Amino acid sequence: MRIEGAAIAGSGVVRFGLYPERSTAELARDAGLAALHDAGMTLADVDEAFVGYLQPATLVGVKAMKELGLTGLPVTHVENASATGLVALREAAWAVASGRARVAMAIAFDKMTDMAGGGRRGGSQRGTGRDQLDATILPAAYFALWAQRRMHDRGTTPSHFAAIAAKNWNHGAGCPWSHRQTDHVVTAEEVLASRVVAEPLTAMMACPADDGAACVIVATEDLVRARQPGRRLVRPVASALRSETYSPGHTFLGPVVGPATMTRDTALAAYDDAGFGPGDIDLALCHDAFANEELEYYELLGFCPEGDGERLVEEGETALGGSIPFNTDGGLIARGHPGGPTGLAMVHEVVQQLRGEAGERQVEGARRALAHLVGGGSVCTVNLFEASQ
Amino acid sequence: MTGDTGVVRVPIEAGYFTIPEDPAETPRLLGSRCPACGEHFFPRRLVCARCLAEGCEDVLLGPRGRLWTWTYVHVPLFAKKDRSVDAYGVGQVDLPEGPRVQAILVGGPDDFRIGMELELDLEVLRTDDAGAEVVIFRFGPVGDPVEEPA
Repeated sequence: MRIEGAAIAGSGVVRFGLYPERSTAELARDAGLAALHDAGMTLADVDEAFVGYLQPATLVGVKAMKELGLTGLPVTHVENASATGLVALREAAWAVASGRARVAMAIAFDKMTDMAGGGRRGGSQRGTGRDQLDATILPAAYFALWAQRRMHDRGTTPSHFAAIAAKNWNHGAGCPWSHRQTDHVVTAEEVLASRVVAEPLTAMMACPADDGAACVIVATEDLVRARQPGRRLVRPVASALRSETYSPGHTFLGPVVGPATMTRDTALAAYDDAGFGPGDIDLALCHDAFANEELEYYELLGFCPEGDGERLVEEGETALGGSIPFNTDGGLIARGHPGGPTGLAMVHEVVQQLRGEAGERQVEGARRALAHLVGGGSVCTVNLFEASQ
Repeated sequence: MTGDTGVVRVPIEAGYFTIPEDPAETPRLLGSRCPACGEHFFPRRLVCARCLAEGCEDVLLGPRGRLWTWTYVHVPLFAKKDRSVDAYGVGQVDLPEGPRVQAILVGGPDDFRIGMELELDLEVLRTDDAGAEVVIFRFGPVGDPVEEPA
């Protein structure tokens, strides 16, 4: 179903990075205030909040919300691993579109640097990692399994993955809130020469561990138009969320995310809801925790036929200035991937691009954007946005 | 369970693989078969993931399969929690019954190719406080003696 009548009122990000001296509540507060200021609102305007994070403790979200004020608003925790931020946005958009709320906040924060040992996998869930049968398969190893199979099937080379990583490092250098800021143009050769983590993936093909927070405020279209005359309206128009579908040969124990085809099925559902397809989209942000994922998603999201992803890389079509720029803010590889807030930082970039306020990263004439994430467990979400005057 | 050395072997997690009394004997994976549609699963489950029938039956799977994909990881086993192994193979292995199983591989970085036949065995991870060997399943090239990677 298409999301009708909802628009982005404001967004804000605390630049992803390492904040050993700052609490998650403080990071959340600053992202929340940035989004409220962008929207021209205070918490008194917000009818409902959806709070996301991956860290293992409970109740942290509702406590963090108190840093923004105590207005009695309903607060719901959302957790879908790496997809958390976009799923919080999905709930906020539907809270508004359903008529339940006039203004809804999606806010997320995490400190990967606090999550000892278990890291992204959330080590607290089943013992201490060392006692888990499947803890030997790290995310890097899992996505390397995809990469090796693709090289076998398609003749893809590590240089293709390196070119994607270099592109995202260089995109990040143009984004003020990107964690990684290079002082030189990163080349594929430099990426290939970095330490091998899991063959063929190198350290520079992987996202960093970092901390951060992000917030997006959704409101009724009428309210946003009335409060923000003259500003281009950015609307969430579709949000598909799917979990794994069984097919023969399904791997139950160990995979970080399920079959790659989950992305294709989720994208088709989102395009069906929105009434437009990949050919109508001007920029895309995807789950590039490892560079080879992005190559797979070019095809699975429908931006090129199966087996044609390498050509897009070779011809630079997914870099800024190309026909379909991917991860214009640097993606998970450069902008960063603290977990919960990742998806809301994506939406922040979509808002800048569709408002025409992305500066040197601006995709000329951008009207429609896609934000995709997968989350361990596993789930996939594809979200579509549209600008209108 | 004790081998002929008298050392007790215990699984890292119960319910996933057999530990034969005789250490020379090949272990098997503990799987399920749906009595309604015949689909096989690893690990064990009650409800069939294909036809949703309840009451899957216990079966033993493997011990051989074909390598679907693999990688060699240059990170300590269990990330930073076990520094005794600083690099190891990981693969997905297609069992003849159908399931694709993700596991540690036995061997060095040049020992694997997609499509090769592999066989299950057990690896000792550590000795627990009671003196028992904690073991995990892994796959290695068929016919090779069990050797640690160089």
